[in-house]
Amino acid sequence: MGSPVKKIMLCSSEKEIFSVEEQVMVQHSVIINNMIEDGSYNHEESKIPLDCVDSKTLKKVIDYCTHHTHHHNDNQEDLEAWDAQFLNVDSNGLYDLLMAANYLEIRNLLDLIYGTIKNMIKGKKIDEIRRIFNIKDHGFTPEEEEQNRKEYPHFY
Amino acid sequence: MEKKKNDKSKSIHDNLPLDLIQRILLRVPIRHLARLRCVSKLWCSLISDPDFAELHFHQSPTATNACFFMENPTMAYLVYLDDNDASQKEVCPPFKKKPPYDFAVLGSCRGFILLDQHPHFLVVWNPLTGFSKRISYSHIVPCRKYLDFRLTYSARLHGFGYDASQDDYLVVIAWRDWEIQYHLECLSLRTNSWINLDVAIPKPLGVFDSFSCGLFLKGAIHWLPFTLTAYRDAILIFDMKERTFSRISGPEQPVMSACSYRRLALLGGCLALYYRNYDSCNTHIWVMKEYKVHSSNSLQSFSAIVLIQ
Repeated sequence: MGSPVKKIMLCSSEKEIFSVEEQVMVQHSVIINNMIEDGSYNHEESKIPLDCVDSKTLKKVIDYCTHHTHHHNDNQEDLEAWDAQFLNVDSNGLYDLLMAANYLEIRNLLDLIYGTIKNMIKGKKIDEIRRIFNIKDHGFTPEEEEQNRKEYPHFY
Repeated sequence: MEKKKNDKSKSIHDNLPLDLIQRILLRVPIRHLARLRCVSKLWCSLISDPDFAELHFHQSPTATNACFFMENPTMAYLVYLDDNDASQKEVCPPFKKKPPYDFAVLGSCRGFILLDQHPHFLVVWNPLTGFSKRISYSHIVPCRKYLDFRLTYSARLHGFGYDASQDDYLVVIAWRDWEIQYHLECLSLRTNSWINLDVAIPKPLGVFDSFSCGLFLKGAIHWLPFTLTAYRDAILIFDMKERTFSRISGPEQPVMSACSYRRLALLGGCLALYYRNYDSCNTHIWVMKEYKVHSSNSLQSFSAIVLIQ
C-alpha cells in the first residue's frame, strides 16, 4: 500500500484554505518548492499565506498546476488546447493570474501568459492596444500625441 | 489584492506593477517596440530606458532576423524574416548632410549596420532605434591627401563584430602602407579608441575579397580568401576576445576554383558558404553544421549540402 498523498495548505487573500497535493505545487512553483525544501513548512500546522492572491485566482492557478502535473504526457496539441481554454478570461483575470504566477514563480504559466499578452499586442494599431489594455490616460501632452500621430500615421 | 467589480474601468497601468509591464514589453519582438512607444508615456519611458535595450537583447526568446536593403542614401528598408507576419519597415539613413552622399554599406552585427562614409569615416547605425555614431579612420590612410582611400577596395581586410567578454563592438581593419608593411587596427566602440594589433597579423596574410566585410558569428569574424586554391585552412578567423587569427577549412568538394560569386553567410545560425559553379551552372550552399573554431578535427562534422538551382 502506497503512502497517502501528501497535501499542503494554501491560504488565499480571503483566508480561504485550499488543500493541494504537495507534489503538484512543488513541481511548478519555485517559491513553494523552496519553502518545502528548507523546512519552513510544517505539514501538521502550517498554511502558506498568499495574501496577494484571491480565491478565484488561486483556484485557477491550482487547476493549472494540477492539470500540467497529471497530463504532462498528453500530446502537445491537447495541452495547448487546454491552455487556450484556461486563459480564456477577461483582461483583469489575466492580470491577476500574471501577478499570482509571478509571486509563486510558476515559470511555464508565466511564459504562457506573457505569450498570450504578446499576441494581444502583435500587429495591432495603437488605438486598438489602448482599448485592449484600457489605457484611457496615455500621459502624452496633446502636442506630443499630435506629433506622434503626424510622425507615425501608420501606427494609429 | 483588493479587486472589486469596478476594476473594469482600470487600465493595465493600475492593475500591474511596473516591473511586470516591463517584462511583458521585454517579450515583444524589437520591431514592434517603436510602435509600442506611442501607446503611453509610461511604455515610452520603459522602452527608452538604456537598460531595456540590453535586457531585451538577452531576454528576447527569439532573435529578430531582418534583411537590410539600401535603395539610395535617403531610403533603406528592413525586411523581417521571422514568423508569419513578414513585413518591411522603412528606415532613414543617418546622414546629416544634404545629398549627394558617397558611402558604402560594409556589414552588420547584432542589429548594427556599419557604413563607410567618404572621406574616411565609419558610421555605426542601428536602423531600429535610429542610434548612430561617426568615427574617423583618416589616421590609417597612407597619405592624408589620398582621398580615394576606401575600405572597400583599399583595405586588405575589414570586419565588424561583438566582443561579449568586454560588451564591446569592434571594427577590425587590415591595410598595407607605402612600404608594403601590413597593419591591423581595431576600433573599440565602447572606448572610441583605436588599438594597434600589428603583431596579430598572420604571415602571410593572404588576399581576401576586399569588397566583403567579414562575417561575424560565434564571437569571431570570418573571411573568405579571394582565390580558393585549397580547402584546407581556407577561411580566416579573427577571435574577438583573444584578438588573434586562426584558420578553418572550407568545403572539399567540388573544386572551388571553378566557382564564382562566393560569399560567407549565416544560415540557421551556422556558418555557410554559397557559390556558383561555372561548369554545372548550379548554386551550391555549404553549411558547417557544427562550429568549432580551434579544432581542425571538426572537419569530420562538416557536411556538404548541394542545392540544385
